[in-house]
Amino acid sequence: MRRLRKYALPVGAFLVVAVTAALDFFDPATSGIFPPCPLQYLTGWYCPGCGSLRALHQLLHGNLLAAWELNPLTIVLLPFLAYGVASYVVFKVRGQYLPRLFLPALWIRALCGLIILFGIARNIPVYPFELLAPGGALHP
Amino acid sequence: MFCTQCGANNADSAIICVQCGRNLGTGPPLSAPSTTLSQMPGASVPNYLVFAIIVTVLCCLPAGIPAIIYAAQVNGKLQAGDIAGAQSASKNAKMWCWIALGAGVAVCLFYGLLIGAKVMSHMHR
Repeated sequence: MRRLRKYALPVGAFLVVAVTAALDFFDPATSGIFPPCPLQYLTGWYCPGCGSLRALHQLLHGNLLAAWELNPLTIVLLPFLAYGVASYVVFKVRGQYLPRLFLPALWIRALCGLIILFGIARNIPVYPFELLAPGGALHP
Repeated sequence: MFCTQCGANNADSAIICVQCGRNLGTGPPLSAPSTTLSQMPGASVPNYLVFAIIVTVLCCLPAGIPAIIYAAQVNGKLQAGDIAGAQSASKNAKMWCWIALGAGVAVCLFYGLLIGAKVMSHMHR
């Protein structure tokens, strides 16, 4: 386990770079190299993360609006997630975390509720909820 | 007890303020307010929240939801001064993160195999 841990950072970094490059080059909306969401494949429902890969592809190409329309939740959470990942990398490399935010438990529970509600709302095919579906705002 | 930094009312056993995160225990004096948690004893209990959100939103898997709930529990227990409880919730958060990630990787591998099988059957034709 110890030995494996030594490779976690380089392997993780390689995977992140490889997936980012693949996301930049292939559009998940048209390319078949990315697996479909199993939930959507089986049930036809959108989950809270539906459209996030396509949104990241658009973001890598500078299309913030298109990314927002595919998955607004991902775009809102992205700075927080990026900071968390950066903090983790800095900790691994320099042994010290970046200044850490302490989120009260209530906030995290609210965030969890928001993610679940977002997942439910974007499946409601009625205005204005349909705007939350992937690409929804493109076809009001 | 009241927080010396923001005045919020906390449980007497709390080690950090529920509102601003200030160390309420044997922390540094007022002249050196600490807004970071890295020096505090409870700060070493990771809640894996970022990992949990990534597996929930980017892998879109329901297994990420218990991970987020356990992440909330870690911070809740820290706020109440229950370090042992926070550590146990932290273990559960970590476990659910890896379950979600494992399931996501399994789906990707399965999909890769399907594509591989498709390509092979085309080549044999």
